[in-house]
Amino acid sequence: MAAAALCWALRAARQVLPSSCPRQVRSYYVDWRMLRDVKRRKMAYEYADERLRINAIRKNSILPKELQEVADKEIAALPRDSCPVRIRNRCVLTSRPRGVKRRWRLSRIVFRHFADHAQMSGVQRAMW
Amino acid sequence: MACSRHFTSSVGQRARVAKAEAKEPAAAFCRSLQERNCRSKQKLFSTSSVLSKDKDKSAASKDSPPEGAAKRQEDGAETSKQQLLDIIGNMKVEVSYRKKLQQLKASENKKQAMNKLEGLDNEGSVPQGITEDTQRDKPLNPELVKAASAVASSLPHNKKQTESELLAQLRRHEETTDKQKKGGTINIRNVISEMTVKRQSPAQWGARISGRISLQDEDGQRIRPDRSSAQSMDSRRSLKVGKRLNIFTKASTEPEHALKTVSSPTIWDLEFAKEVAAVTAQPPRNGFEEMIQWTKEGILWEFPIDNEFGMEDDAEFHEHIFLEKHLEGFPKEGPIRHFMELVICGLSKNPYLSVKQKVEHIEWFQKYFEEKKELLQEI
Repeated sequence: MAAAALCWALRAARQVLPSSCPRQVRSYYVDWRMLRDVKRRKMAYEYADERLRINAIRKNSILPKELQEVADKEIAALPRDSCPVRIRNRCVLTSRPRGVKRRWRLSRIVFRHFADHAQMSGVQRAMW
Repeated sequence: MACSRHFTSSVGQRARVAKAEAKEPAAAFCRSLQERNCRSKQKLFSTSSVLSKDKDKSAASKDSPPEGAAKRQEDGAETSKQQLLDIIGNMKVEVSYRKKLQQLKASENKKQAMNKLEGLDNEGSVPQGITEDTQRDKPLNPELVKAASAVASSLPHNKKQTESELLAQLRRHEETTDKQKKGGTINIRNVISEMTVKRQSPAQWGARISGRISLQDEDGQRIRPDRSSAQSMDSRRSLKVGKRLNIFTKASTEPEHALKTVSSPTIWDLEFAKEVAAVTAQPPRNGFEEMIQWTKEGILWEFPIDNEFGMEDDAEFHEHIFLEKHLEGFPKEGPIRHFMELVICGLSKNPYLSVKQKVEHIEWFQKYFEEKKELLQEI
């Protein structure tokens, strides 16, 4: 029985442990604003269901208005960072808030840098 | 008549057959005699008649054909017949065989445990054992020998030859039962006996060869010459005909101990596991191994890409669509019911949620409305 437990633990550890060869791991976010953005995204994910349900009660013409007012108060009482509106799509590498292309999650400057060095797959300088 | 008497020798017999045959009515036995009458006399001593039946019945059947043969020749010497019948009648009629069988089995198990090595050695020397008939542990039952000699004398053909053949058959039977007791060794004779050399006429040779050459028309369509003949040749010998060879042992399907209660591994176990994994995990030698590692870690997707990766929804479509059964906790009339029906309509059209999630939504609404009951009653 102990052997079986050990085998299971071994299997789990093998999959999770990184290989012995060192790899570049990003252990810090670019700046504090990026960190705050990350926190907001996590909270929005947690409260997404609740917000959806309470909003379903609020944006309603069938239920009585008193109920909807109560729902308004409830959703206002939720933590401020849980609303998805506060998320800002920042550049992943430089944390630039503006000029970010959604498809690559990169700011325009970084995008240009990589595209010129031919590190963006399928991206070419336009000429027409 | 003596045909109703069934005898069994005490050597290597199973009780069930003896009991069953003892209970058979005389009519059935006479019928079986008549069946054997239809077969040719030459098949008396053929191996197929002995080996095609079960080992259990072989001795009984062997003894009954000579008995039947003796009865068939009614014009033959009656004195010899009487002798034979007397011998047969004097043989032990053992009715209560179960105890003896149990004893035999118990002794067998003990012997098997002790003689497993010997048995393995014996398997290697099986072909030798067949030839060395004289060096056996158990000598033939003298009563059987007497019966064999009586039968041989009653037959018109070469008596010595028939007697020796019968005795050889008895010996073989004993050997095989002994080997079965020891634990089913492979008798090469059994394997080879069923194999026959295929002989084809030269016309059929030609057909075979022409069948292998696949001709092609000018259009490129294949001609299939004489496929039916080849198939008929192959299908003559079906797979299930013949005696079992006992070469393959059945893989013992143990009930899987999947429900073993494993105590949660201790911290030391986890640490040890991590250490071992760290030591044994070699850096990837090439790009393939690197990609394998990435896939294990979850960085790389599995190819071919499965659109439903991570979604393990085993529910049927009706569980997704017909959600009205979850509406039992709600009042049957009123705006709340109206609202919940709209909710259900929307959920049934949603392909991205699992049934669990949909049920959770409905349950949350139920809880919410129960909390707000006093408020609703004021309205």
